[in-house]
Amino acid sequence: MTPEIERLIGAESDNETACDVVERGAVRRYVQAYMDDASIFYAEEQRGDSRYGGPVSPALFPMNMFRRPFGTRDPFEEHARNLDFDGIVGSTAQGLPPLPLPKGIGFLNAGTEVEVFRYARQGESVTAKSRYASITEKHSSKGPMLLVVIETEYRAGNGDLLLRVQKHQIRR
Amino acid sequence: MRYESVNVGDMLGPLPKGPLTSAHLMRWSAAMENWHKIHYDKPFAMEHDKLPGILVNGTLKQQFVMQLLREWAGDDGWVWKVSFQFRAMNLENETLRVWGRVAAKREWKSYGLVEVELGILNEQEKESTPGTAVIALPYRDGEPVPYPFVPPTQ
Repeated sequence: MTPEIERLIGAESDNETACDVVERGAVRRYVQAYMDDASIFYAEEQRGDSRYGGPVSPALFPMNMFRRPFGTRDPFEEHARNLDFDGIVGSTAQGLPPLPLPKGIGFLNAGTEVEVFRYARQGESVTAKSRYASITEKHSSKGPMLLVVIETEYRAGNGDLLLRVQKHQIRR
Repeated sequence: MRYESVNVGDMLGPLPKGPLTSAHLMRWSAAMENWHKIHYDKPFAMEHDKLPGILVNGTLKQQFVMQLLREWAGDDGWVWKVSFQFRAMNLENETLRVWGRVAAKREWKSYGLVEVELGILNEQEKESTPGTAVIALPYRDGEPVPYPFVPPTQ
């Protein structure tokens, strides 16, 4: 733990808006891909004054809406001759400033905690805002490590809280 | 599902998934726009990353858990909290079984809360994704759990 890292505890990202609204076709591909045919994702009777106010997306769908927008660089083109390119094109920092760690420090996804408040309806926009909720140093038999907790709130375009997600990362 | 009909020790599911072929994993990666090669490029996964094969995505396993919980809670219940840990890899062509078990229950004002232990087993009964959940259920003669969900204040 360095003073530079310690200063990042509590740091927040900008409020980011997903490049697309919740698209019906994207929801179809998503639920078909994990093999869930529930009618809340497509049925006409979900429209109007139903409990959800219209066809919805799966609870965790907003976590996956933050994709590469139009007009941005193509990482596949950039890495086309890099045999070590692993295909990862997103950030592990959820829009936060990256931790100033030496090169070669590994990353391990240690778990996720989710609170769900409502589903994102098809046609709604979604925003996300993240912060470093905690960064603590621990010592194990394999040496020192940082336990990093990033908390992200996902909201619908009208401001309603959809999800609160805590991602636990181990850096060593 | 109603709160009164649930007992500690009750099992949720199991929800079977698979065998999960490379086609399943490619389809999920495409739906997610997640291009991490360890999920679809076998030579990269094995030769570059020294993995035993291509891996089932953690995000896909999360969805399986969410599906089991939502189906169990029913339209009038609500899956409020879920936590997952990724303790072990699952590989292409494994068949998974998503399970849950009621660990505790407690009453709150207009709904009851049910705590669930959960996980995902493969054919060898190896646990890969242990976790917990809290599900809100309506009382037998009560209203559906409020939507959007209003969490308990204590």
